[in-house]
Amino acid sequence: MANKERIKVIITKLGLDGHDRGPKVVARILREAGMEVIYLGLQQTPEGIVKAALQEDVDVIGISCLTGEHLSLVPLMPRLLKENHRDDIPIIVGGVIPRQDTADLKRVGVSEVFTPGSTSQQIVSCVKQLAQEKKGSGL
Amino acid sequence: MSMETDRITEAFYEKPKRIVTWSGIPVKEIYTPKDIEGIDYTNDIADAGNYPFTRGIHPNMYRGRLWTKRAEWGYGSAEDSNLLFKTLLKEGATGITIYRDLPSGLGIDSDHPLARGEVGECGPPLCSLEDMEAVTEDLPLDKLSVTIACASSPSLVILAQYLATAERRGISQSNLRGTLTNDAIVGHFCYSPVVNPVNLAVKVSTDIIEYCVKNMPLWNPLYVSSFYNLREAGALTAPQELAFGLGVALTYIEGVLDRGLKIDDFAPKASVYAQAGIDIFEEAAKLRALRKMWAKIMRERFDAKDPRSYRLRIAIQTTGSQLVPQQPQNNIIRIAYQQLAAVLGGVQSLTSSTYDEAISVPTKEAQVSALRSQQILAYETSVPLVVDPLAGSYYIEWLTNEIENEATKILEEIDAMGGMAKAIESGWVERQIVEASFKYQRETESGERILVGQNRFVSPPEEDVLPGGVVRVLPEVEERQITKVKELKQKRDHQRVKKAIGDLRVRAEAGENLLPPIIECVKAYATIGEIMGTVRESLGYSYDPFGERKSGF
Repeated sequence: MANKERIKVIITKLGLDGHDRGPKVVARILREAGMEVIYLGLQQTPEGIVKAALQEDVDVIGISCLTGEHLSLVPLMPRLLKENHRDDIPIIVGGVIPRQDTADLKRVGVSEVFTPGSTSQQIVSCVKQLAQEKKGSGL
Repeated sequence: MSMETDRITEAFYEKPKRIVTWSGIPVKEIYTPKDIEGIDYTNDIADAGNYPFTRGIHPNMYRGRLWTKRAEWGYGSAEDSNLLFKTLLKEGATGITIYRDLPSGLGIDSDHPLARGEVGECGPPLCSLEDMEAVTEDLPLDKLSVTIACASSPSLVILAQYLATAERRGISQSNLRGTLTNDAIVGHFCYSPVVNPVNLAVKVSTDIIEYCVKNMPLWNPLYVSSFYNLREAGALTAPQELAFGLGVALTYIEGVLDRGLKIDDFAPKASVYAQAGIDIFEEAAKLRALRKMWAKIMRERFDAKDPRSYRLRIAIQTTGSQLVPQQPQNNIIRIAYQQLAAVLGGVQSLTSSTYDEAISVPTKEAQVSALRSQQILAYETSVPLVVDPLAGSYYIEWLTNEIENEATKILEEIDAMGGMAKAIESGWVERQIVEASFKYQRETESGERILVGQNRFVSPPEEDVLPGGVVRVLPEVEERQITKVKELKQKRDHQRVKKAIGDLRVRAEAGENLLPPIIECVKAYATIGEIMGTVRESLGYSYDPFGERKSGF
C-alpha cells in the first residue's frame, strides 16, 4: 500500500427518510475493505454532516438519499464544504436517484453517484481512488 | 464464431443454479404424497372459513367479495392528494390510502428547520387540522374505506385529525370504516428511533387500540405493519417476516390485555400488513402459514373464544424492494407476479408498489398501471373464482408447514428474550436486519441471485426508458405550506390552544389515554409538532426529538 494511513469515511443519510438498509450495507462493505467508517445514521442535516466531517477529518463523505433529497439538500453540501475551505473532501451519493439527475449532481460537485446494482467492488475502488486523490492534494 | 456457438449451446442447455426459494429454503425437484404424510386435512388445512383458516377466512373467499384494490399516493400538497384520490376513485379504486409527508411522520411541523426540502415528500403535509380537511375534502368519509399510513408515534395526532374532520362534517366516529397502520414499534426502524423509543411506541399503539375498541366499531384498531416493513428494512426471509411481525403484534396484544380489555374485544378486528414478493409459491404458502399461526396463537396462547378472533385479515403491499431500476418497465411484470402471489395467498386487500418505485416516488401513470394490473387479475384471469386453488399441492402444503415451523422457532427465540420490545432494545433485531441485508447484497453481486436487467440481460443505460417520467415535488409546495403553518400559528385562538395543550399535559402525566385530549388539541389547531412535543415531554422524553425546538406552552 502506497499510503498506510487508513481511509476514513462518513456514511450517513441526509434528510428525514428512515430507510437505511442501503447505507448500513455500504458501511459494512467499506469496513470489510479495511476502512474506518463513521456511521452518522438517520435524519442528518447538511450542516451536521459537514461539521462531523471536519471534526473527524474524513477522506470521503457518503450520503444515501431515497426520497428526493439529492436535489433539495445534497447541493448544499459542496457549498458548505467550500465555505469551510474543505472542498477537498469528496462526496459520493447513493440510493434512489433518477439517472437524468446524475449529471446535475456532478455539476454541483458530487464526485460519484451509485444506484441499485452497483457492486461492492465499484464502491470500494471509487472511495479508495477519491481518498488517494484527496490525500495527494493535501500534500 | 465458435465462441458464439458455445454461448448459444450453453444458453440452450441452461438450468437454474440457485435451487432454494427466495428466502433460501432448499427445495427438491419434486414433491410427493410422502412429503405431506404428517399433515392432516381437518386439523392443519381445513376448508376455508374453518379453523385454522389456512385456506382463507371466508368459506367462499373471492366469490363472496373480491379483494379491496387500494391505490396509494405520496407527494405534493394536501390539495394535490385530494385531487388524486378523486381521480383514483373514479378509476375504480375501492379504498384509498392517506400517506403523510416525512416531517409529519416524524411529528415535526412543516416550518421546523429539519423539514427543509422534505415538505410534501412521500405524502401530503398533515401538520394541522387544516391539512387533513384539505386532503379529505368532498370525500364521503362515512362510505369510504380509508387506510391512514403512518407507522410512527405521530399517528396518534393524524388519527385525531381524521376524527375531528369527520366530526365537523357531522359524521359519527361509529360510522368511520378504515384502518390506521397502528404500529409505532416499526417506526423505530423505518422512521426514526428517537421519534419512536420502544416504550413510547408501545404506549401510543396501545392507546389507539383501546380508544378505537371503545368508540369505533367499524374501525380496525390493530393493524400491524411490522410484517411488511421489517422485512423491507432488511431483506428478511419469509419465516423471519412472520416471526418478527407476530412478535410485534404480541407486544401490543399483551399491552391491551394489561389495560383490562378482553382478547375477543379486539382480536376479531385485527389485521396485518404483509408482503407479497415475487416467489409466488413461497409467498402464497407464507400467507397460508400466517393465518394458521395466528389462529393457533389466539386459541392456544390467549384462550380466545370468539371464532372471529381466529380469523386474521391480511392486507398486502407488493414488495417494493424487489423492483429494479434498470429497464423499469420490467417491473410491471414483477408486480403482476407479486399480486398473483397475494391473491393465491387469499388476502383481503392489495396495495401495489409501482414500476417506477426504484427510481422515484410514483407517478400517476405508474399508479394507474398498478391498479389496472389488479383489475386484469380480478376480471380476466379467472384466478379468484376458486378458493385457495393451490391447496392440496404436495409442494405448497409441505412449504406452508416448513415456513410455519421455521417461523415458530424464531418466535420462540424472541419469546425467550422476553418479547419483541426486549429483542429490539438488546440490538438483536437490528443485527438480524443488517446480517440479512448484507447477505442479500452478496448474493446479488455474485450473480447467485439473478435480477433481470441489473446483473443479467443488462442493456445500455441510455436504453432504459421510464414511461411517465419522474415525479418532482415543486419547491412552491413547501414554501406555500410553511407560510400556511406560520399564518395558522398567528391566527388561531391562542387561549384555546394553550388550554388544550395544558390539559393534554396533565392527562398524559396521569397516564391516561392520550387520544381524547389530543382530539381537543387538534380541534384548537395545535400542530403535530406541538402535540407530539407535549406528549414526549410529559412521558419523560425531549420535546423535540431533534433538539431544535422548545415548547411554547
